Amino acid sequence: MNFVIVLLALLGSVWLLAVVEGWTTTGRLRPAAPLLSGLAHLGRESIVPRTPDRVFFETAPVLLLIVAVLGAAVLPLAPTLVIADLATGALFINAALAYVLVALIMAGWGPNGAYAMIGGWRFLGQLIAYAMLIVMPITAVAMRAESLVTTVIVGSQDGLWNIVYQPLGFVLFFIAAMALAFRAPFDLPTAPGELGGGVDAEYTGVRLGVLRLARLTLVITLASATTVFYLGGWHGPLLPPWAWSLIKTLAVAVSMLLAGRYLPRIREADLMRWCWTLGIPLALLNIIVVGLLVLVVP
Amino acid sequence: MTLVLIVALVTGAILFGIGVYGALSQTNLVMIMMGVELILAGALVNLVAFWRFLHPESYSGQMFVLVVMTVMAVEMAVGFGVAIARFRAKGSVEMEEAGDLKG
Amino acid sequence: MYAQAFFVAVFGLAAIGFGVVVFRTSSMVRSALALLFSQTAVGCMFLAMQTEFLGVLQIMMMATEMSIMAIFMVMFMMDPGGMGGMDMTHQKRFSIGAGVVAAGVAIVVAFWADWGPVTAEAPDAAMQTRALGMELLGRSMLIFETAGITILTAMIAATAVAIPVQTTANIADKEDTE
Repeated sequence: MNFVIVLLALLGSVWLLAVVEGWTTTGRLRPAAPLLSGLAHLGRESIVPRTPDRVFFETAPVLLLIVAVLGAAVLPLAPTLVIADLATGALFINAALAYVLVALIMAGWGPNGAYAMIGGWRFLGQLIAYAMLIVMPITAVAMRAESLVTTVIVGSQDGLWNIVYQPLGFVLFFIAAMALAFRAPFDLPTAPGELGGGVDAEYTGVRLGVLRLARLTLVITLASATTVFYLGGWHGPLLPPWAWSLIKTLAVAVSMLLAGRYLPRIREADLMRWCWTLGIPLALLNIIVVGLLVLVVP
Repeated sequence: MTLVLIVALVTGAILFGIGVYGALSQTNLVMIMMGVELILAGALVNLVAFWRFLHPESYSGQMFVLVVMTVMAVEMAVGFGVAIARFRAKGSVEMEEAGDLKG
Repeated sequence: MYAQAFFVAVFGLAAIGFGVVVFRTSSMVRSALALLFSQTAVGCMFLAMQTEFLGVLQIMMMATEMSIMAIFMVMFMMDPGGMGGMDMTHQKRFSIGAGVVAAGVAIVVAFWADWGPVTAEAPDAAMQTRALGMELLGRSMLIFETAGITILTAMIAATAVAIPVQTTANIADKEDTE
């Protein structure tokens, strides 16, 4: 039962995010657009490149979708509304998100095309750097909660949300989440103006529909993770808990979209230099500060 | 219960065997390292099986697993650094051509 | 118990299957990703044996490590796509023999040794994580610190070895080609 509810909530959030994305891009609010666009993808011709690596070509979009759903499976919407309340929930999200890299490498190598391959290997550098930057703020959050269970992490933010307790961690996690979802300004793998679509380039028809659905689901999963780890999950005054979770998740996802619209794409050299020389030391500083606060403040 | 222990140990043994075949038969440094990774994976399976079925009260077993995982990561890092240096000096990382490193 | 045996056997067969694919295929990226999925299957075996933290850790680490291996293969191998059909092995019979002997000895020991009383119950996953943390920072603190220093040394060593060295020979080469 939990499984069905959480999946429906995920689907609804993806639909809302697609509508908002269409609104920011075209200026018109069309609620039926995602559904019609999905059906159009099903109907379009599905072109396969000349000599693809067939196993990788077919597996990549499906793997990306599975990864996004698996990541959402450990995130709670309400105190008992979680698909799998694993004892190592916070670590499991990171494990699932590491497979975004595998999916994009397959999508890059599979179609046997130059632009796709460049996009795939670019994402390797990006994700190795920013996966470190995701795991370290999660460590600091788990330090405060003294547990890796996601429901306990939300419970520990009862009085004070983590965004106030660990603001540096929130900023780093938000940036790293955008980089992990290869959302602008970190969208080097797909780079619409530069690589002609990158890893998305050779996909058409059904597979492109699945790939686009998977990308939106990944953004929602990461926004939900930000809510659970930093924004207090389901805590809030009047509305029922699941409503607060959904509102916060959508707010974070929409802010990721808006950040993408107003910032230029970052080059891969700058991207990785900022992460390794600036981001990782700041993340370590965050862990030290949170450790001191946890030990000193009762 | 001994059944599951035997299944896990046999799997570890076969992974070890495949890794030994790979490490000895391949000519390229990267492929040899893949063989070594399989050897270490076989060792990890055995370690976890022994912890779970014979001594679940003592966490030294899990400590050892963490140490082996650390060794896997460290060996890969240094091995690839050496591979880069070799590739820059010679143009290939084939073991057949590495006789010039001798003596 | 039979459910656990079934799952461990299924994931074990997957690990072995992918392991065989690593050395049978001629496409290098397929080889690296097959090794990745073999390690993931090993991680799932850990989950089936109720060591949740170690299983999740294995799955997470191996995804990134094997992807790095994939790009190094594309950088260094002669035929990353595998379309050339080259045979990149040597001393084949000796290594098959060594592999069979190694696996055979281990299997014989697994069947013949008397492993003693086998425990049926495992600790709860949350308790395991907590106990592992206590062990790591309590009794095995020295091992933990040594591992940390080893990783730092390896990072410095790998970076130092991989930085291109500006010797006079290199500078002369560059001037020639410009």
